[in-house]
Order: sequence, then structure tokens, then C-alpha cells
Amino acid sequence: MIKTKTWIIIFACLLAVSGGLSLWIFLKPVGGTVANIYVDGKCVRSVDLSIVTETYEFTIDTHNGTNRIRVEEGRISVVEADCPDKTCVHTGWISDSAAPICCLPHKLVIKIEKDKKAGDDVPDAVSK
Amino acid sequence: MKRKISTKRITLDAVLTALALIIFIIELQFPEIVPIPGVKLGLANVITLIAIFKLGPVDGLIILILRIVMGSIFSGRIIAMLYSLAGGLLCFLVTVFLKKIVSKSQIWVCGVLGAIAHNLGQILVAILITQTPALLSYLPILIVSAVITGAFTGGIATVVLEQRF
Repeated sequence: MIKTKTWIIIFACLLAVSGGLSLWIFLKPVGGTVANIYVDGKCVRSVDLSIVTETYEFTIDTHNGTNRIRVEEGRISVVEADCPDKTCVHTGWISDSAAPICCLPHKLVIKIEKDKKAGDDVPDAVSK
Repeated sequence: MKRKISTKRITLDAVLTALALIIFIIELQFPEIVPIPGVKLGLANVITLIAIFKLGPVDGLIILILRIVMGSIFSGRIIAMLYSLAGGLLCFLVTVFLKKIVSKSQIWVCGVLGAIAHNLGQILVAILITQTPALLSYLPILIVSAVITGAFTGGIATVVLEQRF
């Protein structure tokens, strides 16, 4: 039998360690400016956020639904989605963090990375 | 440990399933506090904990699976069922294992470790489904959330189980 005090200490340590880790993950810059959009693990579109000057939007169609994505100078977000939970919309803007935007129902993930993984504006780029 | 399927048992399971479903649906109506996938209170786990400790693992499992399946259908989140099942079953296994080593006043520990297991299960399924290992970066914040919410829901279950009913 483990004492209640021991459990509390274990959980306090766990809280401190994972709290610190998550702060580090969310605040640490990844050093990249490219937003790669993945559907089903495949990169369907890359946007270099550092060269964006005007706000624009585009739609990503997945097998499970659509996500409307807005790009601004240096940042990207999902503004509309027809998924039931809307977590991706609530995540808001990301610009330089290791934590991706993800829409689990649509299997869509937006990650900030160093390199482009897909063509600029051609969704299913042939060249690669 | 063979038990007869009595009317009392069926009724109790049904009532607890209904309760879990109501709690689950009501919780879904609240807006998300933190915009991170997987962060939620998980109040329905109170019922699973009560069922496991009061009625046994088999009844707990029945109630858990019924709640997840019906909850996904009622809330229109069929795709989320896979995540819920992975998380729920992992949480269940951890709780059943812990049942042997915690005392009656330590049931909240099951809530905490169960919540961590639940989030771990969900994140693993999410990584498998989206093929994105980077989702692992959500694990630390999900553990923070699990410790807090798990202590809360586990605490409720501990208080309820201390009553005579």
C-alpha cells in the first residue's frame, strides 16, 4: 500500500515536470516559418508564412470534411471547420510553436517547420 | 467470481449508464476552456470509478463501453468514438489494476492515473490515425490537465463511495 502522501508527492512532481515541459514546448520557437498542412499524414500544402503580406483564405477538403484556413503575415489559423468539436478553430493562430493545430475528426494537422513539404499553391503537387 | 445476472444488477447498470450518458452530454455543452484537443473534465469517469469499485470491473466495463458508444452516437461524434474507446479502455485497465493497491480513501489516485492513461491512449490513437508523431508535443500539457481533472473527478468518486448506498 502506497501512502497518500507519497501519491501526492508523485503527482506534484509529475505536474511540475510536465508543466515545465509543456511551457518549453509551447514557448520554444521552432525556427521555421513554413506552415505545412497534412491530411492523413500526407503534406497537401505548404505556406511560407514569412513571405505572406496580405491576408488570404483557402479551403482544404478532406475525405471527412472541410477546413477553411486563414493565412496572415507570419501566422496561420483554421477559421472554419465542419467538424463537430471545432477544436482546430479554437486553437487559434499559430506562428512559431512546436505544438501543431490539429483537427482530429478530419485527420488534418498544421505544423510549423523549416522546410516546405509540398508545392506552394498546388494542393496535390506532382513535383516532389 | 461468478455472479448471477440479477434484476438488481441490470437495473443498477442501466441507471449508472444513463447517469454517465447525461453527465457526458451535459459536459459537451460547455464551451472548451482550453483550446487543446483532449483537454476536458471527464466527469463521466466518476460513474465508471463508482461502478468499478461498487459493482466490479465487469459492470464497470459494460457501463463504460455503453456510455462511449451511445455518447458518440447521441453527440454526432462517431469519429471521436475511436479516441474515446482507446482512452476509456486504457483508463479502465489502469483503474482495475490500481483497485488492488489503493485503499478506500485513495480512490482519487485512480482518477488521476486513469485520466493520464486516458489521454495517453487518445494521443497514441491520434498519432496512428493522423500519422503525425508531432502530436506527442501535446502530451505534457495533457498530463497536466489529466492530473488536475483526474484529481477532481477522482475526488468526487471517493466522496461518493464513502457514503453508504
